Formats: sequence, C-alpha cells, structure tokens
Amino acid sequence: MPASPVIDVERLSVTYGDFTAVRDLSFHVRRGEFYALLGTNGAGKTSTLEVVEGHRRAASGAVRIFGESPRDRRAVRPRMGVMLQESGFSPDLTVRESVGLIGALSGRSDDVDRVLGIAGLTRKAGTRVSQLSGGEKRRLDFATAVYGGPELVILDEPTTGLDIQSRDALWAAVDRLRDEGSTIVLTTHYLEEAQQRADRIGLMHEGALHREGTVAELTQALPSLISFVLPPGAPEPPTVGALNGAFHIETFSLQDDLYRLLGWAHDTGVELRELQAGPTRLDDVFRAIGRA
Amino acid sequence: MLEIARSEMIQIFRNRLVLVTGLVIPVAAGGYFVYQHEVFSDLGGLGYIAAIVMFTVLAFGLYTTAVTTLASRRQNLFLKRLRSTAAGDAGILAGLVLPVTVISLVQAVAILIVLGAVATGPAQLPLLAVAILATTAMMVALALATAGLTNSPEHAQVTTLPVSLSVIAVASWVGIAGTEDLALLKRLLPGGAATELVVNAWDGGVPLADSLALLPITMAWVLVAVALAARLFRWEPRR
Repeated sequence: MPASPVIDVERLSVTYGDFTAVRDLSFHVRRGEFYALLGTNGAGKTSTLEVVEGHRRAASGAVRIFGESPRDRRAVRPRMGVMLQESGFSPDLTVRESVGLIGALSGRSDDVDRVLGIAGLTRKAGTRVSQLSGGEKRRLDFATAVYGGPELVILDEPTTGLDIQSRDALWAAVDRLRDEGSTIVLTTHYLEEAQQRADRIGLMHEGALHREGTVAELTQALPSLISFVLPPGAPEPPTVGALNGAFHIETFSLQDDLYRLLGWAHDTGVELRELQAGPTRLDDVFRAIGRA
Repeated sequence: MLEIARSEMIQIFRNRLVLVTGLVIPVAAGGYFVYQHEVFSDLGGLGYIAAIVMFTVLAFGLYTTAVTTLASRRQNLFLKRLRSTAAGDAGILAGLVLPVTVISLVQAVAILIVLGAVATGPAQLPLLAVAILATTAMMVALALATAGLTNSPEHAQVTTLPVSLSVIAVASWVGIAGTEDLALLKRLLPGGAATELVVNAWDGGVPLADSLALLPITMAWVLVAVALAARLFRWEPRR
C-alpha cells in the first residue's frame, strides 16, 4: 500500500471577491520528494501556498498536510517549516532572539547556535533585525524554517536577494535536509534552481496546473534547438530556412540532426558560425505555456 | 504565549519611543493628578481622581500602546510569522498584549496606592478591583478592534484618539458632574458605568447593591468590545 502523500491538494479553488486566483487545482507531494511549484506572476502559486500553509481558506476543494487540515496548527506546524516570501520579524529583537522565539513556538526543538550556523548567521547573532540587509533577513527566514529539521519545508522564493555564496550555502543546507528525509516544496523564479533539484515540477498558469512531471517529462514535448549563422555567399543547408541570416532548426532528434548538419558542413567546407545546440529547457516550456 | 510575552517585554524596553509615550507619560499624568489631589478632589472627590488616573493609564498607556504594537506587528508581517508556528491565535494575541497590560495594571494600582496613602483609601476595595479589571478587559478588546482599523504605527496616532479621548471625557463628565442628571446616558457611554463604579468604590456612601447594578453595563461594554475585536481584527495587511 503506497504511503499517504505529505501534501494532498484536491480540486482547490481560491477566490478574492469575484476574482478566481486558483481554480480546480490538484496535486500531491510524496514523502521525501522535492517538488517545485512554478508559474508566471499571478499564476496562483502564492495563493496555493498560503492555503497549504494554513494562512488562507480555500473557496472549495480540500487540502491535507500529513492527512490533517493545514489550519490545525498544533497537529501540522511541529512537522512543517515555512520560509515566507516576505520576511516578518520584530525589528527590535536580535537574530538569536528571533530564531529562539520562532523556534520555541514551532513545537520543535533544536540548538539555536546550530541553526544560526546553518544559515550563516553566527556572526550576526547579536545584531538587531532592523540592522540586517535584505539577504540576511532571507537567511534568518530560512533559519526559522529549518529549525528542528522539520519533515516538510516550504520554501517560497528562498534565494531572492541572496548573493551567490549565500545561495550555495542555502542549497547545501536543503540538500542535507533531503538526505535526512525531509520533503521540500519550492517556488522560485529562478528556473534553473528547480530544473537542477526538483524531482517533479508543477507548472501553473492563470490559476491552473498546466503541466506536471519530471524535467525530462516536461521538456520532451518540445523540440530541441540548433542555431547557427552562415558566412556570406555560403550555400544553405538543405531543408532549412534562414531568418535574418540566422538559422534555427527545431528537432526532436537533436543528436542525429546535429550529426547530419556537421557532416554537411564538413562535406561542403562551410563554417557554421555561432553554432549552438542544446536540449529543451524549462524556460522554453514556460514560454510555450504562455503562448498557448 | 509566554515566549511571545517575553519578547514583547524586551522590545518595549528597547524602543524608547514606546517606553516614553506609552509608559512614562501616562504615569507622569497620573502622578500629577495625585500630586494635585486637593485641587482635583474639589472638582469631583477622590473617587473622580481614582477614575481619571485609571483611565489615563489604561487609555494612553495600555490602549494606545497595544494598538500601536498590534499595527506594527501586522505591518511588518510578524503576526503572519507567528501564525506560521504552532501557536494558536488566542495565545499569540495574549502574548502580544500581556506585557503592556501587566505594566499598565501595575502602574495604575501603584498610583492609586499612593493616592490612598497621601489622601484617603478606597471604601470598597473589592469593588474597585472589579472595576479596574473590567475596564482593563474593555480597553484590551477595544485595542484589538481599533488595531483592525489601523494600518500602521503612525496611523495609530490618529485611530486611537476617538476612544482614548472619549473615555477620558466620559470619566471626567461622570466623575465631576455625577449621575444625578442624565444617569442612563452617562452610564451607557463607554467607561461611564466603570467610572461610577470606581467613584462609588473609592468614596463609599452608596449601597453595594446600587453599585453592583453598574456591573452588567460595564461587562456589556467588555462584550461589545470583544465582539468588535472579533469582527474587525486583521492578521495581515490589506493589499
């Protein structure tokens, strides 16, 4: 018998007055999985997450976290860490006091110094929140989310405003959490972060889930691209049209077509300038959804 | 709840503006009434001074500080942060307002003890205690309701004026003019019955049964304030 999902969303709708932000959304996240919920601005990601986090009521549908209602804080919150999209801390408390307070209220136990170390905030422990930079506040947010090693961690735009070192440190900490069995849910505008790490990705657009699957499953429906420029006067390769002198070949057989193109170039002695060839990326899938 | 209360207490003493406007000024004003008790007792008696001291501390200390605190915590999304934990809504609110409530109560009681020491003490201490506690509950609930209408700490300087000035005005009207005329109106106004309770408890001379008849009105205002708070309080900023 399969284990029950950590997050189970069934036909969720979220409305603001007459406006429907999320409609008939269903997805589930398995235990230990890294699930990325991606979408354009206004796609409904944050509204969905707010219901999952228990901050907002659903207009219809059902959401269960560990089989419980997300609004049952006593049952759910000790097992779940949340990194909100926007920081919310008291400016007059220090970093250590803030982590200690939110950690104590989380229902989990941990060593505050250990958590500060994970978030790279050890040297800022005695600094008031009002004196932190935007990136440091994001790290403080992360520290409170991972306090006590929760079974489920929700990361809402976790790396926005972070420098590259802080991003690397954050992802290293997330990797450790995964190794310990935590389930991760991520929303981000940095698609490469999701592409590199997520086991499965849900793509939202205009309040609905348009695609869901692994990166390979999502990208296989779109062709790969080969592009190049020919020198003036060079013969054109057969069956390929040029646009402003640049050639773009869409193919579902990248390796075979690239092999043929290079063979043609070698046989005719033509230099393929600015040659690029690559598999379909997640942002190509995004653009295709936006055009649909 | 106690963890939140502890953090709030730390912040009160770190924020000089809150410390001065919310805690020092009300005490200074209350202390002035006690210092000039002979002058003010000519206006309405010692019971009036006790009532005006209580409302000065609870309106300008407790009520205004609580509204400002709640608006600030909501504006910077700290309330949302607290609701991301296992803490319940009631525990969060109790933790946020507990320190300023305790501080204000201690201040009011301390000033009234000084008033009793330099003049004459209250005739009916239990009745005075009930009146103070009921008024405290009313002001806390009114603070929650007002916080729902207050977008920021700066906005609180405006939104707190109607209630704080009204209760001071009602307390002065009832305390100075008494309730021989327009008794029902004066008792139904916010803080009116509570003021009369304090005056009766301090000055004495009124049968206990007559004073106890003021309790339902005082408690009704507590219920009205709680109902308003439940309807108006918001956890997140308007977007």
